[in-house]
Amino acid sequence: MSVPEPSSDELEQLLARCAAQDSAALEKLYQRVAAQLLAVVTRIVRRRDLAEDALQDVFVRIWQQARQYDQIRGRPLAWMISIARYRAIDMLRGQRRVVSLDDGDMPMQLIADGASDPVEESSITHNALQRCLEILTAGQQRCLVLAYQQGLSHEAVAASVGHPLGTVKSWIRRGLQSLRRCLES
Amino acid sequence: MNYQGDELLEMLAAEYVVGTLVGAARRRFERLCSVSVPASAARGRWEDRLAVLALQLAPIQPREQVWRGIQEIIAVQTRAPARARSGRRRWLPLAAAAALVGLAVWLGPRLLTTRPATQAVTVLGADTQHPQWRIERSADARRLMVLTFGAVSANAQQSFELWALPGDGKPPVSLGLLPRQGELARVLSEAQSMALLAAEKLAVSIEPPGGSPTGAPTGPVIMVGAVKTS
Repeated sequence: MSVPEPSSDELEQLLARCAAQDSAALEKLYQRVAAQLLAVVTRIVRRRDLAEDALQDVFVRIWQQARQYDQIRGRPLAWMISIARYRAIDMLRGQRRVVSLDDGDMPMQLIADGASDPVEESSITHNALQRCLEILTAGQQRCLVLAYQQGLSHEAVAASVGHPLGTVKSWIRRGLQSLRRCLES
Repeated sequence: MNYQGDELLEMLAAEYVVGTLVGAARRRFERLCSVSVPASAARGRWEDRLAVLALQLAPIQPREQVWRGIQEIIAVQTRAPARARSGRRRWLPLAAAAALVGLAVWLGPRLLTTRPATQAVTVLGADTQHPQWRIERSADARRLMVLTFGAVSANAQQSFELWALPGDGKPPVSLGLLPRQGELARVLSEAQSMALLAAEKLAVSIEPPGGSPTGAPTGPVIMVGAVKTS
């Protein structure tokens, strides 16, 4: 499924060079991670053109914020994935507001797609998160993965899985609490 | 609310990262992270933990123009601070040269005519390879400048209206109609320049001749461009 994850050391060095305004480093970074980040934003915004616009913003932000990257923000790839996800989530939520002005042009069928999406199997088998995800109930796991990968709100997750909003909220909250306990143990 | 409570902070950070923390609560948590090390550390931990879910997705190779668009934006942005920050003279000539190369290649020779008081807001187009309008503003956002790339194909029943989209759910604010060719400069009202300064994105909608009759977009939104942060 997934390409080998680039090493954190390499990515950190490239980010440090970006912070020093070395655009060749940004290009190299782009070659390493752009395809993975495009997958992340596409899953959320659901349209290739919007996703590529978002990806451009993401790399401009990486360029601008490289100086602020700090290990407190976690591994560099996770940091970049987060920039991509937050940008896509903002775009998704902003875009829905725009599009709601014009009901005929709803660009995405989140709910229908989401309902038929299986929870995918991870290629990263030795990951603690994967192990800990398995202790969650099927409902908790499904809601969490849907919300994370597709940028769905509680309401959209509830509509997607066909359970009441309150149930979904508590599944996600309890799922996260269980994950935390498992990961910290 | 006591954000320092460990459990509460962890759960806020987790829901922020998952994306289920929405609206004003989401923005509040972002502000908290910018001033609180425990909050931003909690966010970083969850970003790390959950990133594996993002790595499960099969990579999608971007089209070639995406990288070229990034180069273009970076070249334009490098140009603006190069003028403003006189203290950084050592890299200024290099940055200026890089910006000129970027501009010459990607934006066309006509943009080399300097307009010292303007800054780029966004470029709107069907995609990054087909820019249609370049939007600039004066530093105080009281003037808007629009440059049309080529001529816009549209029938006489259509006009193109530019909107500032605030990031906080407020309704779009019209910045007026876009020209079909050439350049246009217009003075904005107080409300328009406030909206332009606050906008996260600009959008173009198709409207009847003369513009939207309602003050809100009525036709399809055909383009959305992110506002460049300076």
